[in-house]
Amino acid sequence: MTRSAFSPEGVTFGVCLVALGVLGTLANLGKLELLPLLRTYWPLSLVLWGVLELADLTIRRSSSGRS
Amino acid sequence: MTSSPFDPQSPAAPAAASAPPPLPPGQSNAPFVRLPKSPGLAACLSLFPGLGQVYNGRIARAFVFFFSWVGSIYLTASGHEFPFAFMIPFVYLFNIIDAWKGANAANARFLGGRAEAEEQPEVESPVWGGSLVLLGVLILLSNLGWLDIDRLARWWPVLLIAVGGYFVYNSLEARKASGGSAE
Repeated sequence: MTRSAFSPEGVTFGVCLVALGVLGTLANLGKLELLPLLRTYWPLSLVLWGVLELADLTIRRSSSGRS
Repeated sequence: MTSSPFDPQSPAAPAAASAPPPLPPGQSNAPFVRLPKSPGLAACLSLFPGLGQVYNGRIARAFVFFFSWVGSIYLTASGHEFPFAFMIPFVYLFNIIDAWKGANAANARFLGGRAEAEEQPEVESPVWGGSLVLLGVLILLSNLGWLDIDRLARWWPVLLIAVGGYFVYNSLEARKASGGSAE
């Protein structure tokens, strides 16, 4: 097994923080309602995390020569 | 007259006196190395989800465990018993195991061992990532009103079948990889 190219949970956490910051700013500017949006779309963080785990696995497998 | 090692006048006496005393059984004279992380302490700290990961220096993972635990409790309390009631003990126990393994991996890295290979062998499977994507999509569809996730509750035994099948498959693969000699 080769070392991970990146940390999936780290990237997910960072992206979620950035998204939360952007949405919070927009909410403070009165452009959107933050809580209903978060309540509906929070599972996207799980999807992102899963996709990154799969991508990490694919990269590690390809770099270690496994199919 | 023969010389004896116990005789101070004997030529063998200085060598015997300078030799280190024999160690009790089970001890060695290897240098003591203080490992950076205590797996037991990490597991104990994880009784509050995420704290053991903070101790291990894995902050992102700590937040993931903490919010998964709190989110599962919140969603169970707000009427979504399935699947979140099942997730509460799963997240809690997995959090403790993860902290224990994370501390062991940190120690192995400190000693120059192959920490990466031993860190999380079960993650070397697309099942973990696929499960996350599937769970996220199901909850998202439910939130958007396109899927009634409570109607899926009657199908929960299928999850047991899938997990059981996965364990059987893994056992067979491990046996195949070891040439059929594994227990």
